[in-house]
Amino acid sequence: MTVKSKPKLAFYWAASCGGCEISVIELGMHLVDVSEAADIVFWPAAMDFKYNDVRAMAENEIDYCFFNGAIRNSENEEIAHLLREKSKNLVAFGSCSYLGGIPGLANMYDIESLCQRIYETSPSLDDSRGTRPQTTTTMPEGEIKIPELYDHVKLLAEVVDVDYFMPGCPPVVDQIWKVFQAVLDGNLPPKGAVIGADTKTVCDVCPREKGTPGFRIKEFKRPHEVDLDPNKCFLTQGVICAGPVTRAGCGIPCLKGNMPCRGCYGPAEGIVDQGTKLASVIGALIDTDNPEELQNILDTIVDPAGTFYRFGLAHSIMSKMKYD
Amino acid sequence: MSHATNTQTFADEVKAIPGGEHLELCYSCGTCVSKCMIQQKLEPDYNPRRLLRMVMMDMRQEAFTSPTTWMCSECDLCYSACPQEIHISQVIAAVKQLAVEAGYQSPLTPVEVNEDLCSGCGICVMVCPYEAPSLFEKEVNGEMDRLSQVDTNKCMGCGICVAACPLGAISREGVSNQEITDQLPIQSTQPPKLVTFICDWSLRESADIDILESYPADLVKVIHIPCTGRIDPQHAMMALDSGAEAVLVCGCKSGECHFKRGNYVATCKMNLLDTMLSQFNFPNKHIRFVQIGTQERGRIRHEIDAMLAEIGVLEVTQ
Repeated sequence: MTVKSKPKLAFYWAASCGGCEISVIELGMHLVDVSEAADIVFWPAAMDFKYNDVRAMAENEIDYCFFNGAIRNSENEEIAHLLREKSKNLVAFGSCSYLGGIPGLANMYDIESLCQRIYETSPSLDDSRGTRPQTTTTMPEGEIKIPELYDHVKLLAEVVDVDYFMPGCPPVVDQIWKVFQAVLDGNLPPKGAVIGADTKTVCDVCPREKGTPGFRIKEFKRPHEVDLDPNKCFLTQGVICAGPVTRAGCGIPCLKGNMPCRGCYGPAEGIVDQGTKLASVIGALIDTDNPEELQNILDTIVDPAGTFYRFGLAHSIMSKMKYD
Repeated sequence: MSHATNTQTFADEVKAIPGGEHLELCYSCGTCVSKCMIQQKLEPDYNPRRLLRMVMMDMRQEAFTSPTTWMCSECDLCYSACPQEIHISQVIAAVKQLAVEAGYQSPLTPVEVNEDLCSGCGICVMVCPYEAPSLFEKEVNGEMDRLSQVDTNKCMGCGICVAACPLGAISREGVSNQEITDQLPIQSTQPPKLVTFICDWSLRESADIDILESYPADLVKVIHIPCTGRIDPQHAMMALDSGAEAVLVCGCKSGECHFKRGNYVATCKMNLLDTMLSQFNFPNKHIRFVQIGTQERGRIRHEIDAMLAEIGVLEVTQ
C-alpha cells in the first residue's frame, strides 16, 4: 500500500481588497483540517513565504493554486505566470480574478483620467506637486523599481490558462469548504468549470414574493431611498436587483439582510454578458408610451454600467472589445 | 363558467363579456380591415368586420375557427380608425374567450418553458403583454420548485419574454437564443459590415423585403425577429464582437407596435445599452434603434444606407 502524499496548496492575492483572504480565514477550525490534509506551500497574506520560494519549486509542484484578485499591474501578471507554471490546477478565486470584480469598474475610464483623479484632483489629496508613481525612480541610494500599472484591469484568464473559476465577492465560507473538500477528495468537475456555486440564478433560491402580471417600474430607487418590504421582490419595489442574471450559490446573505443582489457571483450558466442581459430584463419592466417619460424613468437609474456590471465589467464584451 | 343558456344567442354571449358589448355598433364599413396589418401581411382571410358579422349571424363554429379570433394581437390600429369607436380587439377577445371555453385551441406557435432551466424568477410573468405566463409550484426531486408555465391560448408569440428570460428557459421555435446566435457571424472569416435585427411588422410591404434582400450578404446580415421586444442587447454586443462594425435594430413607431408594448421595451433596452456604451467610452459605437411608421414605405433603405455611410462603407449620395 502506497502512502498518498498530501496535496500542495497555494494562495495568492493580486489586485484585490483582501476580502477573499478573510473568507478563507473564516473557515476557522476547518482551516486546521485543511492544513492537516494538505501542505500549504505559499500564502503571502497569512504565512511567511517569498516569491523566490515559488521560483525554486519544480514545474507543476503545486496541486491547487487559489489565485484571488485581478491583474492590474506587471507584478500581478508576472506572479500569475509563475504560479501557472508551478501549479497543476489554477483556480481563479473570487470575482476579481474571475470577472474583474470591483477593480474592473476602472475599465470604464482611461488610465490618464484615473491617475489624474487619484494623484491630482481628489479632494482628500494634499499634494500640489502632482507626483505620479514612476516604474523607475533614482534615489541617492540607487534605483527603485515598482510594477507598471496597466491601462486596464485584466482577468486572470486573460493572461494565463485557468482551470477553474470560483465566483464571489468574496466566495462564501460554505462554498470554500465544499471546494476544499472536493480538492482533498480529488472530486472536482472537468476543467473549465465554475466551482463553488450553482448553475441557476439567485431568483431560483430567493423566497421573496414575485411580480404579478403587468407590473411595471415607473421610477427606480436606490436601496437607501425606500423602506424595503423584506418579503417582496426588489424589482417590484423599483430597486435594481441583479438576482435574475446572477449565479446562485452565495446563500443569499444580501437578500436576507434586505439588500438587493449586487451580482457578485457573476453570470449564471448560459448568460454570456451579465450587464446587457440585466438591461434586457430591466428594460422589459419599464412601460410608458411617452418618450419623454421613458427617458425620465431611465434617468432614475444611477450609473447603469456600474450597476449592471458591478462585478463583471472587465469580463464584459464591451471591455473585451475595447481593450483587445 | 358558462355564458350559454338556451335562450341566449351567440351575440348575447359575446355582449355579456366586458368589451364585447359594443358588437352591435358595427355597421360593417370595413375600415378596421383596411387598417389591419395582419390582413395585409400574414393572413388574407383575417377580417374583423367579417368576424363581427359572424357573431351577429350566430355563426358560432365559423367564428371559433376563424383566424381572426386567434391572431388579433390587440395592437388597436383599427380602434382609432373605427368610425363607431368600437374597441374591436376587445370584441374579438370576447369571442376568443368563448372559443377557449368551448375547447378550441390557439393555432399559433406559443412559447414553451424548459423547466430544467427555469429559475422561477417571474420576469416573464411581469413582462408579457398578454398575461400568458404564470408561476406554479411543482415537486422536483422531492422539493417544491417554483416554475413558469404558459397559457398557450394567450401567448401571441411576440418573444418579449424570450428576450427577458435570463436563462433562455422560455423560448419559441424560430426565436430561441440559439437560433438568433446561429445567425450571428460568429467565427465567420468575412463578417458582414452591418447586422440588422428587424421586426417583420415594421416592414410595410413586399418592396421593403426586396430592399433588404438587395444588399449582399457580406455587407448586411438581416436577422428577422417577431418584434423588437425580442431584442436582447446581449445579441447586439455579440454581433459587434463577431466582427460586424454596426448594429441596426428596426422596429415600429411609437403607438404602432403589433404586440402592444414591444417597441417601448426595445426603446428601453437599446437606450440602456447606449448609455452603458457611452459611460464606457466605447470606441466606434455604431448601434442604432430606429422606429418605422406605417406610412414610411421604403424608409428601411435610408436607415441601412445611413448606417453603412456612418461606418464608411457607403458614400453618402444625398
